[in-house]
Amino acid sequence: MSVTETDIPVIPVPTQRGASVARRIWRIALASNEFRVGAIIFTVLVLAALLYPELSGIDPTKMSVATRLHAPPFMGDKWSWTAPLGTDQIGRDMLVRSLVGLRYSLFIGLSTVVLMLIIGCSLGTVAGYYGGRVDMVIMRLTDAQLSIPMIILAITVLGVSRPTIPAIILVLGLSSWPVYARVTRSVVMTERKREYVRAAEIYGASDFRIMVRLLAPLVLPPIIFVSALDVARMMIFESILGFIGLGVQPPTPTFGNIIADGRKYLLNAWWIATMPGVFLCLCLTSINLMGASLERARNRIYGGKS
Amino acid sequence: MTGTPLLKVRDLSVGLETGGGIRPIISGIGFDLAPREILGIIGASGAGKTVLSRALVNWIDPPLKVTSGSVIYKSQNILDLPAQKLRTLRREIAYVGANPAGALDPTLPVGQQIVEKLRAIAPEVPHDEARKRVIDLLGAVRIPSPQMRYHEYPSQFSGGMMQRALIVDALVSNPAFLVADNVTQPLDVTVAAQVLRLMRELTTRFDTAIVFISSSLPLVSDAADQILVLAEGRVVERQVTKALVATPQHPYTRELISQIPKIWTSEAVAIDPPAQSREPIISILDATRSYRVRKRGTFASYSTVRAVRNVTFDVFPGENFGIVGESGCGKSTLMRLLSRLERPDSGHVLCDGQDIARLSGKGLLKFRRDFQLVLQDPFNSLPPRTAIGAIIEEPLKTHGIARGEQLRDRVLSVMHEVGLPGALYDELPLGLSAGQRQRVNVARAMVLEPKVLIMDETLSSLDQTEQFKLLKLFEQLQVQHGLTYVYISHDLAMVRRVCNRVAVMYLGEVVEIADNSRLFFDPGHPYTKALLSAVPTLEERRYKPEDCLLEGEPPSPIDLPPGCSFTSRCPNAFGRCHQQSPVLTARGGKDLAACFLVENTLTHAAA
Repeated sequence: MSVTETDIPVIPVPTQRGASVARRIWRIALASNEFRVGAIIFTVLVLAALLYPELSGIDPTKMSVATRLHAPPFMGDKWSWTAPLGTDQIGRDMLVRSLVGLRYSLFIGLSTVVLMLIIGCSLGTVAGYYGGRVDMVIMRLTDAQLSIPMIILAITVLGVSRPTIPAIILVLGLSSWPVYARVTRSVVMTERKREYVRAAEIYGASDFRIMVRLLAPLVLPPIIFVSALDVARMMIFESILGFIGLGVQPPTPTFGNIIADGRKYLLNAWWIATMPGVFLCLCLTSINLMGASLERARNRIYGGKS
Repeated sequence: MTGTPLLKVRDLSVGLETGGGIRPIISGIGFDLAPREILGIIGASGAGKTVLSRALVNWIDPPLKVTSGSVIYKSQNILDLPAQKLRTLRREIAYVGANPAGALDPTLPVGQQIVEKLRAIAPEVPHDEARKRVIDLLGAVRIPSPQMRYHEYPSQFSGGMMQRALIVDALVSNPAFLVADNVTQPLDVTVAAQVLRLMRELTTRFDTAIVFISSSLPLVSDAADQILVLAEGRVVERQVTKALVATPQHPYTRELISQIPKIWTSEAVAIDPPAQSREPIISILDATRSYRVRKRGTFASYSTVRAVRNVTFDVFPGENFGIVGESGCGKSTLMRLLSRLERPDSGHVLCDGQDIARLSGKGLLKFRRDFQLVLQDPFNSLPPRTAIGAIIEEPLKTHGIARGEQLRDRVLSVMHEVGLPGALYDELPLGLSAGQRQRVNVARAMVLEPKVLIMDETLSSLDQTEQFKLLKLFEQLQVQHGLTYVYISHDLAMVRRVCNRVAVMYLGEVVEIADNSRLFFDPGHPYTKALLSAVPTLEERRYKPEDCLLEGEPPSPIDLPPGCSFTSRCPNAFGRCHQQSPVLTARGGKDLAACFLVENTLTHAAA
């Protein structure tokens, strides 16, 4: 049987590059109102946290007994912009303090989640990919880790050593990765048996390459979307640590220690304990809004339910 | 057909409800089905066969919707019946689908499940009697030792046995009407032949009328009295089987028949023999591979599965080499050895004279480049969340062959070569058809410009038309790139069409190696003959299934009986076969077969 060139159908090659999958997800997410609202709130908060304390020139730790316990202007009788959210029991500006607290909280929350992702996903991938003894060792490790309640571990470690920012990140990160490892492992275990992994072995891809180029794009996105919610969780944990005095130490303001201080004045100066909470709440809401609409956009592209 | 029809279908239409209205899937279907009749329904994939089969038993779920028509069974319109009444009808109407593993509950013994079903639709049957009936039927569908099998779990059944258990499940209530949707698709030819024979027996033993749906005309024509041809949701032709095959009326039917590969004609072979070559490109020498598996019901004891036993053969450059055999015969293990996903326990696999088990580093990478595999399952073999262009780029990146724009150009040219539009470059494989997915698979293998391509059941999941197109593509690629193909398949018609030489495997051994025409016209091993007798075909059979094939399944590779492994199913077995195992014996030319009968004829000829 002879075959000639003309048997091959001629198909026009497009000159323009189609939009990549990631870009299409962005586009869909950007079109939704929820994402926009979340993104605007988040950007404003982050910009404010980064810029306002510097630009206003107000020192968050500067005491001023004369102006102590001022109510926010919209509450009290003296209308003044000097302290838009009032002052605390020793006359420190609440807005600046809350924003600095947000700064620490966000930084610690984000870094912790990144740390958790790195440890959890890499260990989970390795365990699921190789199976057997490797899997057993790693999974026993996660079991051991899971059996120690996070808050007890944090109190022990941070109570004994000095609670610096890296220490807090490490403690929070090290105590929460097992969940990520477990989820990653189970996905990798099922995916590993699929034929495309076999095909990759046959075209010569190394194990590392298969894990990074083929399995990671499959495993990571859903986990990363979920981890957005964990940023919020970790910010709360950071506040708890601050509240019980094991977070970043005063006089540096954090949500936790501001609330702890304000607790005593809750009846006559409610804003001290409330303001950090409001900021925390706004920040978490905006993160969740963005996370949820990204997840929905992803499902639209990959054909899941929306 | 005489008598009053059991089932009358009139103007049946089913549509898919989408946002913008209803898209018709099947429209205006009408036919009658008499008692004891087998009606075959054929059509390409996407013709609406499964939707039709489900509509017949009123099993249409949203977003599908019956838009018009009636299915009248014994003067009641099934489609209008309330759920309550329909339930009582379920004992008369049965349905068997194509996915036996998915249809059985893995946590219950098979027999118990079937009894459960029987008692659900016929509560008046006492438990003991139900049990007895199920065991009888398991025996009737030729499940060996039904008493024991009754208590086993679905995972302990082979695919063929599960399918037969499902048939029992459908028959246990003595249905008057059975819908069999693609029941033989997951089965080997030999088992499929057994199931077909069973279907025909049913019509006489239980007076069942059967609607038998399949995409393979030869298969349907083996079983059915009449055939309905379905194309794009419409009946284009209806004839008595013999007439349909002999004088098809509609052009679609004619095309369908012309695409069916013929086996026992000289035009069946669509390839030229390769230039007589010197050095084999692959040679496998006495390779053996066993696995240790945990023994069932024990805590720490293992048994050995001998998946590939003493396999030896050569493949020459430019050749199309076929490896055929039933599932579980060791084809896949052999493929894993050839592609060095695993190393043999003993023996060697040589590629270009090098033992591939010893390769590492650069040498291994070079081997990987020359030696590519196209896998079976079009849905599992592509990473679902990677764009098609990126999938094909990956091998190039792995080997560091090209980068940037060059990479893209190379991928686009390969996509063009296998007939994929370049517009798919940034698309995900989600929306692709099975045929297109297999093209992506081929492109991923071809992009490295290999010398050898192994096709591991690459075409078995595609329908006739797609198979035909892809085979043409493979021929083109071979002409342009001088490829060597190894086809691993259970589809003998395809092997007949494309392979120069064929190795037949049974229970981990190669029992025969022969040139294409010798294998098909003068098989040396009784197993080859049995396989050939079971091939569904429209032609006059050269080998009668009754003469060649004994019932039953191959013995388990865990405890192999002594002697020739085919003894338990061989119609020609004699004393010696039970004690000694025959080796591959030359029977003229390069053809070899492992059977004492070959030896005997040779010694007779010499004497």
